[in-house]
Amino acid sequence: MPAAAQLASKPGAVVTTPHVRAELVAHAPEGVAPGAPVWVGLQITHQPEWHTYWKNAGDSGLPTELNWTLPPGVSTGDIAWPVPRKIPVGNLANYGYEGTVLLPVPLEVSSNFKPPLASLGIGSGASALDIRLKATWLVCRKECIPEEGEFTLALPLQGSTALHKAEFDAAQAAQPQPLDKPGTVEVSGNNLQVRLEGLPAAVQGKTLGFFPETPELIRTAAVSGKDWTQSWQGGAWTATLPLADQRSASPTTLPLVVALAEADRQPGQPIAWRAEAPVSGTWPAAAVPRAEVSPALQAALAANAANAAASISPAELPAQPAGTFIVALLGAVLGGLLLNLMPCVFPILAIKVLGFARQAGNRSAHRKAGLAYTAGVMLSFLALGGAMLALRAAGAQLGWGFQLQSPAVVAALAALFTLIGLNLAGVFEFGRAAPSSVCSAQAKHPIANDFLSGVLAVVIASPCTAPFMGVSLGFAIGLPATQALLLFAALGLGLALPYLVAGFVPAIARLLPRPGPWMGTLRRLLAFPMFATVAWLVWVLGQQSGIDGVGTLLALLVCMAAIVWALTLRGRTRLVIAAVLVAFTAVLTAAIGRNVLQTVEPARLASSSAGQRWQPWSAERVAELMGAGQPVFIDFTAAWCVTCQYNKKATLADAEVLADFDGKKVAMLRADWTRRDPAITAALTSLGRSGVPLYVLQAPGKPPVVLTEILGKNEVRAALAAL
Amino acid sequence: MSLSPSSDSRSIRAARHARAALSRASRRAVVAAAVALGATFLIGNNAFAAPAVGQQAPDFVAVDTRGAKHKLSDFAGKFVVLEWTNPGCPFVRKHYNSGNMPATQKAATAQGVVWLSVNSTERAASDYLQPAALDTWMKTQKAAPTAVLMDEDGVIGQAYGARTTPHIFIIDPKGMLVYAGGIDSIASARPDDIKTATNYVNQALGEAFGGKPISAASTRPYGCSVKYKS
Repeated sequence: MPAAAQLASKPGAVVTTPHVRAELVAHAPEGVAPGAPVWVGLQITHQPEWHTYWKNAGDSGLPTELNWTLPPGVSTGDIAWPVPRKIPVGNLANYGYEGTVLLPVPLEVSSNFKPPLASLGIGSGASALDIRLKATWLVCRKECIPEEGEFTLALPLQGSTALHKAEFDAAQAAQPQPLDKPGTVEVSGNNLQVRLEGLPAAVQGKTLGFFPETPELIRTAAVSGKDWTQSWQGGAWTATLPLADQRSASPTTLPLVVALAEADRQPGQPIAWRAEAPVSGTWPAAAVPRAEVSPALQAALAANAANAAASISPAELPAQPAGTFIVALLGAVLGGLLLNLMPCVFPILAIKVLGFARQAGNRSAHRKAGLAYTAGVMLSFLALGGAMLALRAAGAQLGWGFQLQSPAVVAALAALFTLIGLNLAGVFEFGRAAPSSVCSAQAKHPIANDFLSGVLAVVIASPCTAPFMGVSLGFAIGLPATQALLLFAALGLGLALPYLVAGFVPAIARLLPRPGPWMGTLRRLLAFPMFATVAWLVWVLGQQSGIDGVGTLLALLVCMAAIVWALTLRGRTRLVIAAVLVAFTAVLTAAIGRNVLQTVEPARLASSSAGQRWQPWSAERVAELMGAGQPVFIDFTAAWCVTCQYNKKATLADAEVLADFDGKKVAMLRADWTRRDPAITAALTSLGRSGVPLYVLQAPGKPPVVLTEILGKNEVRAALAAL
Repeated sequence: MSLSPSSDSRSIRAARHARAALSRASRRAVVAAAVALGATFLIGNNAFAAPAVGQQAPDFVAVDTRGAKHKLSDFAGKFVVLEWTNPGCPFVRKHYNSGNMPATQKAATAQGVVWLSVNSTERAASDYLQPAALDTWMKTQKAAPTAVLMDEDGVIGQAYGARTTPHIFIIDPKGMLVYAGGIDSIASARPDDIKTATNYVNQALGEAFGGKPISAASTRPYGCSVKYKS
């Protein structure tokens, strides 16, 4: 399509395109002289249905532009835009002109203007003012055509040029009249409250059209009476207009035009009024977010960039490059391996040591035990990973360790560990206490036992994210399901690897001591790590459910212990006492069991656990502090995360470290993820992680620094020194 | 009626082709309808309130010109650029013919940004392009978006408040809308202006990757109206 009107080699005063006829016209009834009224203008006659635009074009379009070339001493004013009409385009709207419109421009002729010599004049030989115009306009129906044209006109200096008087008069009549009072515009919420006074009495009570001259301010397509309202309060016209969703202007003065509906216009009477109203109130903050890129993401992006050249089909883009994936798999194995060293896995270590000692000397049993344990670990990881992916697909905001955000899960784990502890302490034997075939199966089949201890290891280990594991998991979230599950399996393999190796390499198994009476002693000793775990879980529940929840849980644990003990008795006593205890437990559970599952207000937690130094985290608070130029340190933590608690009590309580924080005036924020919190989950995700602990040091204008999970004193101090 | 074997097999082949084409077309129609429905549900109440910069960008599902489905939330963790386009619009052609839009797309995707060109032109519009034709046009322009999405029903466009072609939206890795506005700073149809204009997309992405706040987060989009289904 032709982008511009193809002009003849010699420009004249008229340009005709398939959509408009444009003509440069002039009106100088008293000739061209200093002080005399001289108007020039572009008259555009549109084809039916086509339109060009006002100074504020509305939702799309562009205002017509006029570029004049005039002899020295002659200058132009601005276009005296006639009142536009609102042109709805579907759910959008434009301000523009249809039919014929004249865009007049006043010419200023100063005394410096030297008329050209007659002999050099154009046209009939009389001296004339040589006017050149280059105009561009956008003409649209549904489609839009940018057009342009060059025009020349020789305006005679003497005599009268009034051929287009009628058109200039009509353009004059279509001018908005200035209002005596500027009126007021108040920003209130997402609306503009406009109040205009001094409109003529004849207009009062009429419905007016509203045209702001500032673009990108109000919802242009808003319909009067539906999306915006107007009313008359005596002689004052007031209106409430909705602001644009994506406003990009916040003026302090709003030039605006109000116009009578076409049916209300009277010949010879003004049809529109213009005011430049001061704006009061505060514009709703157009939040200018920091679009942050985490180092993890940065690395992934760099990898993407390296592979961009090799990218084949855009549809396959979400898939990660193979190299990165293998690195992630290795990282996951390593992460799983390191997970064995985490304090949360310690209880399971105890169980396994005992297991190996029991079967000392039996090599094939060791091998089977290693395999069963590995299977238990890997399948549990796959199940957890699958559950997480499924919940994520369903739109839930989850992260690693999410299961411990539920008080029910914490309580159930406490019960489970109490049972294991009681068993180790010798209060009961699984085979004797529980008549169920499940328990006897577990006791009689060591393989099942090993498998289940693998499952247990994962359940306990999941709240801890070891180094490497955090990145792998964060990476897994963005991967297709099969690849993500592979990563989870790799993590499991890493966790199970030491036992697997011990099972297959006799040298390691041989290092274990021979069975003997010492085993009973060790077994009872190992009950204490179990009870310690229960103590920890009760504390976690305390963060979630408060003192009532903890009390209830402890009472129920006592009941459970009593029931288990009762089941070890013999004969009728066993039935009677067990029945009484079960009934009592049931009554207790019905009465106060709910306490365990309740969650207390986060505010209580924030005030109790966050000292004066630490402020509760929120994305807004971070933006606010960073906006004020202050660096921030964020501790993403949770009560159930043992590593987090260790860091909090060790490195983050260290006097030297804290002095460094103060020295650099770093704001310290704590994001507590003990309960489900979608905002914190989102923040973790954006940093490429899916679990806690996570420590981030951020300074304005710098990429955030993510510190390691096991927070070293020197590392923190080095990071602070680099600020 | 006797047909020679060759013409017989030819007619059978033709019939098979026709059937395959029909089933392809109907499958595409069913998928498109399902996706439109899904997008309506996904976007739900936001249909008439476009997000402002700093707010959560509405999620959507759309089918691209090659029939592949894309869900915005699947790109979480990455920057996503949404570019409203319509090859029938002279402003879009200004930025494609000059090579400006393809270059901007390449620069962005090379940094790992997901670039989705969205066509919300209704089917009845004179310049509506079938997915295959739009794909071909993009190819001839050497365009480099991640995918070109079809939004004939305008569901996505309305959800974002896309008004013009081009109209650019940038969504950050957290799913926040961080930029809404024009492709550059000079509102004109003249290709010559590209040289002197500020490319807002390059600027915003550059600032984001440099860890700086986006200085021009809301600008005036310019171009043709999006030709929405009324």
